[in-house]
Amino acid sequence: MGIYMTILEQGLIYGILALGVYITYKILDFPDLTVDGSFPLGAALTATMITNGVNPYLTLPASFLIGAAAGVCTGLIHVKCKVRDLLSGIIMMTALWTVNLRLAGTANVPIFSKDSIFDNDFINGVMPEALSGWKKLIVIAVITVAAKLLLDLYLKTKSGFLLRAAGDNEVLVTSLAKNQGNVKILGLSIANGLVALAGCVFCQEQRVFEISSGTGAIVIGLASVIIGTSLFKNLTVMKATTAVLIGSVIYKACVAAALKFFEPQDMKLITAVLFLIILVIGMERRKKVKKHA
Amino acid sequence: MKKKVLAVILGAAMAMSLGACGSSGGSGNSASGQDSSGEKTYTIGISQFAEHGSLDNCREGFIEGLKEEGIEEGKNLTIEVKNAAADQGTAKQISDTFVSDKVDLICAIATPSAQAAYNSAIDTDIPVIYTAVTDPIAAELADENGAPVGNVTGTSDELPIKAQLEMIREMLPDAEKIGIMYTTSEVNSVSALETYKELAGDYGFTIVDKGVTQTADISLATDEILEEVDCLTNLTDNTVVNSLATILDKANVKKIPVFGSEIEQVKIGCLAAEGLDYVELGKQTGRMAAKVLKGEAEASEMNYEIITEPGYYVNTAVAENLGITVSEELLETAAESFDSISS
Repeated sequence: MGIYMTILEQGLIYGILALGVYITYKILDFPDLTVDGSFPLGAALTATMITNGVNPYLTLPASFLIGAAAGVCTGLIHVKCKVRDLLSGIIMMTALWTVNLRLAGTANVPIFSKDSIFDNDFINGVMPEALSGWKKLIVIAVITVAAKLLLDLYLKTKSGFLLRAAGDNEVLVTSLAKNQGNVKILGLSIANGLVALAGCVFCQEQRVFEISSGTGAIVIGLASVIIGTSLFKNLTVMKATTAVLIGSVIYKACVAAALKFFEPQDMKLITAVLFLIILVIGMERRKKVKKHA
Repeated sequence: MKKKVLAVILGAAMAMSLGACGSSGGSGNSASGQDSSGEKTYTIGISQFAEHGSLDNCREGFIEGLKEEGIEEGKNLTIEVKNAAADQGTAKQISDTFVSDKVDLICAIATPSAQAAYNSAIDTDIPVIYTAVTDPIAAELADENGAPVGNVTGTSDELPIKAQLEMIREMLPDAEKIGIMYTTSEVNSVSALETYKELAGDYGFTIVDKGVTQTADISLATDEILEEVDCLTNLTDNTVVNSLATILDKANVKKIPVFGSEIEQVKIGCLAAEGLDYVELGKQTGRMAAKVLKGEAEASEMNYEIITEPGYYVNTAVAENLGITVSEELLETAAESFDSISS
């Protein structure tokens, strides 16, 4: 039982990150490497706030905002300084390493003895005794589902439609007399806000901030998005955001399975192969669709 | 439609296989039982943070230490070794798996694994024994007095910095500036550097430090620091130690001695070290674990331990290359001396 719980917990936490990556990679068609820096950015801010005795629930909006700020920077570098998308992300990712280290003070900040969103007087009072083993999972699920629903709602607004158009059809945005650059900046800020929010929850679940926690975050995010959207492509009733969350849980399940059957040293290779297989399956479908059309 | 079915089947198959392995893990090597001879048997999960010479030595020492106390793999002990390949999330997944397999004890090697293991086992009665955690107090695994914060204890690989400074003074009577290279993101290095700076004055040294962020910076940083110092001394910094060959090459050209922090570094070309033997540290940890397993002590009541006696290691071949004579008295005190440089 314990292992399924871990898979769900970790899958849903990284699901929030995957929602962010979904915006940049799928909607904006922007390979955003800022993620490797904004994920620990949320964690660093969270650890600092918590060690200073701030109410743990305030870390959630604060992390979103600081992540969004990082996203705006990436956007400004790309749109205003006209730096290529990939490079803008790399620049921000590199810069954020120092920001994170400065923000947290050191590379490893444990918060074992402090209150967290999973362990404080309020939640311990509200949660019935019988559910105490599920406490973490319930809190994570509430945050993840809330993030997903808010994103769904946003994508239905006028601004959300413009965001989707910016990736598909830049000309349309311009013809509506909207600045396509600003739309991109907005998308990047929401995406990195979500990523930092995931970092915030991850930090409190692990009860420690560790500078290296962001390394490879983008790979996990991309894998989740690609697994989710490819597997459930034909299931039109399912929202892409839901598919992405499921993709993230499946990814974590694969990691757990790989841990059982293989050496962890081989895991990155297994990830890469899995990644490739799913990508290729996805592409074949697209070709077929074209032929039929 | 076919594709949809395929996806469903794939998903189901994945869940089933996981279920199967989960349950087999649960029943196959679950909590301590009795073997055919009626003797008690144990299951231990070892969670190692990364592939690394020192950490490997810790692990081997740990198994050795258990054996000395009569708990031997294959006889009355099942060991599951997992390596997180330096990923914090994976470390947590490993210890979560150990907890759901209901092992008798988790041995965690290096700080991130120790924190993950403590976090996973916090609501259970599974004891966690850690090793190679430089500062258990800063890692919140022990309180200010060294007492455990929960059912968790172990050994620290804190460097014997005083002994090291004393030894450098003895070997290089005229040296003034000691250079130290470290990775800015390694907590253990930063805290060791602080201690060096505090103590250096007592022995008439000043410390010149150079921080790097990644392996790629090592070459340049070495060139820079060698301009300023009379000798270098190493911490147990992963990035720096992994690039030791580069540093030694450059230092040898300038005839600047490099001191190590543990036996392996002296073997490959550091002049000397007043340092740790990680196998010994692992053994000490193994003996602690044996006490806990046998019920002689509770992990929650044992303070963490540091290695009792640092050993003096010296490489006479390196000394010869540098034109340094190692006094007979000093040689006699050496726990081990090497007369060749292994690469």
